[in-house]
Amino acid sequence: MANLKDIRDRIKSIRNIQQVTKAMKMVAAAKLRRAQERMEQARPYEERLSQVIHSLLPDVDRELLPLLDVREVKRVCMVLVTSDRGLAGSFNSSIIRRAEDEITAFGREATDLICIGRRGRDYFRKRDYNVVSDYADFWNELSFTHAMEFGEDVIEMFVSGKVDEVHVIFNWFKSVGTQEIHVERLLPLVYEGEEQTLSERLYEPSKDELVRSLIPRHMNVEMWKYLLESYASEQAARMVAMDNATENAGELIHDLRLEFNKLRQAAITKEVLEIISGAEALRVQ
Amino acid sequence: MKSFLLEIVTPDKLLDKSEVTYVRCPGMDGLFGVMNGHIPALIAMKTGEIKVTKDGKDLFFATSGGYADISIEKVELLVETAEQADEIDVKRAALAQDKAKEHMSKGDVDYIQSKAKLDRAVNRLAVAKRH
Repeated sequence: MANLKDIRDRIKSIRNIQQVTKAMKMVAAAKLRRAQERMEQARPYEERLSQVIHSLLPDVDRELLPLLDVREVKRVCMVLVTSDRGLAGSFNSSIIRRAEDEITAFGREATDLICIGRRGRDYFRKRDYNVVSDYADFWNELSFTHAMEFGEDVIEMFVSGKVDEVHVIFNWFKSVGTQEIHVERLLPLVYEGEEQTLSERLYEPSKDELVRSLIPRHMNVEMWKYLLESYASEQAARMVAMDNATENAGELIHDLRLEFNKLRQAAITKEVLEIISGAEALRVQ
Repeated sequence: MKSFLLEIVTPDKLLDKSEVTYVRCPGMDGLFGVMNGHIPALIAMKTGEIKVTKDGKDLFFATSGGYADISIEKVELLVETAEQADEIDVKRAALAQDKAKEHMSKGDVDYIQSKAKLDRAVNRLAVAKRH
């Protein structure tokens, strides 16, 4: 049976952990709010850009647009978005598992992997997958330039014909309580429906060239959306995980306190009994 | 001078939405200026400086390129990045410049990519001086 001091020490250390998890929860909550704002703010740009593209596409020969090129799929590129840090519940482990399934389904040898975030990179590097490039330790200062960088990489692989399709595996932010793993095809891009022609306008340079430069930019925005979704999901997952941890620590402390008090009671009772029986013995004499 | 509505939209946020009298952008073949009553147009922009005249004062932004969508009601600048002159992190831009130069001299990475990075850094430094 543990003695009083042991229990007191345990309570103390659990309380320290509880403070840490509580702080992490609050940090994650603040970051989550910021991430949601950013998702909100990215919307106007995305909407207008795709509007412009849709207004131009009817007049442009699609054959000239390499990012829309649909080919027979012999080799794919998977872009896996994970976080840099753990302590976010099953945020990373479940997406890594899903990625592994996807890769196995297509064939490990025919898949090139781009790992965004340290968790995924470490996992797949260690197991000798075809990790063609990776990015880590940037989430804290996430900015659109990152999306541009990843975008350039992906475009290069696709246009050069190294891969015939690019898929992104990421955590989609459904709500604070739920994040869903989504696998989406990033390239070739698909534009369909809602084509609209605007009234006469001046174009500089030509429509063809405009569309050709617009489409990679649109892809960068798609990339940016994936990053923001994943970032918000990570913070939400961490917040929930840390909230649970804080609660569990509270329960543990409660149980230990109960045990501590029982032990203390027992010790006091024992002492009182000793004194009484000692006094009794003296009186009898 | 008559004013018109200008919106600068970036993936990060709607940077600016206000009545201005003049805006000058870096077009592919050189600078172009827009005033009230411009005909509708869609013009691509390259890395450079955006000058905005608002209430008689000039504001400067560094951009890495995008599009100017000019319609009758308003002018929209869809740009991937836009930083106002006083917000530019000069130290970081200088660092990026050095790094890009180094990459280019070594020639181990894509030259065009490094050149684009260098252009962006040089542009940011130049615009920062406007402050």
